[in-house]
Amino acid sequence: MTEIPDLMRLASGAARHAASRQATIAANVANADTPGFRARDVDTFSPDDGFALRRSELIPGDPRHFAGRTGTAAEAHDLRDLPADPNGNTVDLEDQILRGIDAARAHDRALTVYRSSLDLLRASLGRG
Amino acid sequence: MAEFSDSLSILSSGMRSQGQRLRHIAENIANEDTPGYRRKTIEFRAHVEDGRRTGAIETGPVRLERGELPKIHDPAHPMADAEGYHEGSNVELLTEMADAREAQRSYEANLKMFEQVRRMSSQLLDILKR
Repeated sequence: MTEIPDLMRLASGAARHAASRQATIAANVANADTPGFRARDVDTFSPDDGFALRRSELIPGDPRHFAGRTGTAAEAHDLRDLPADPNGNTVDLEDQILRGIDAARAHDRALTVYRSSLDLLRASLGRG
Repeated sequence: MAEFSDSLSILSSGMRSQGQRLRHIAENIANEDTPGYRRKTIEFRAHVEDGRRTGAIETGPVRLERGELPKIHDPAHPMADAEGYHEGSNVELLTEMADAREAQRSYEANLKMFEQVRRMSSQLLDILKR
């Protein structure tokens, strides 16, 4: 029984990561014509970087546990080695749309896992 | 969920700015033959709140393009001077069309991302409905 809540925590961590990646990409697209703006992205999702807190790793008083704190938000970093426009902008719209679709698919995937875990949990409680 | 509403407001700021840019391009094109008209441009810059960049975008004040206005020889024109010249506008249609295309493309990209984020958030809400 304990595996299912862990799985759901992992899935919700992945979904949160995809959402914050999508927010970073949204800022890139909005700034596609801002002079000097550098395109940003977040690192790929890894279950160990605080997105999916394991029970044994919970630290009392850790600010990341409080609702509304974005301590678990992925750190965005500038993308390097991109060709820049004459005004110093490095946003490539095609590339950003592709990244956006990637993030949306990751989000879909995470939600599907979450939903099927939820179904399993409900089935085990006899509520099919 | 906060990420989604942030993304949506950032994207709508992008669409608003591109729309404003398109509006000034339309004004420029309409005034191509207005004597003494100077081309209007707006500047895009990052929106800063409490000393921190929010990722949103805002438009700066309208600027009039400096530079010499072309002299047009037309002695019959009511504004022509003693030598028969009057000032034209410094609008170039080709530049404006290229600018309009770029604005439209960026606007569409913002709209596409907007739809995608909205779809993601409604999928999240679907889980709650069950």
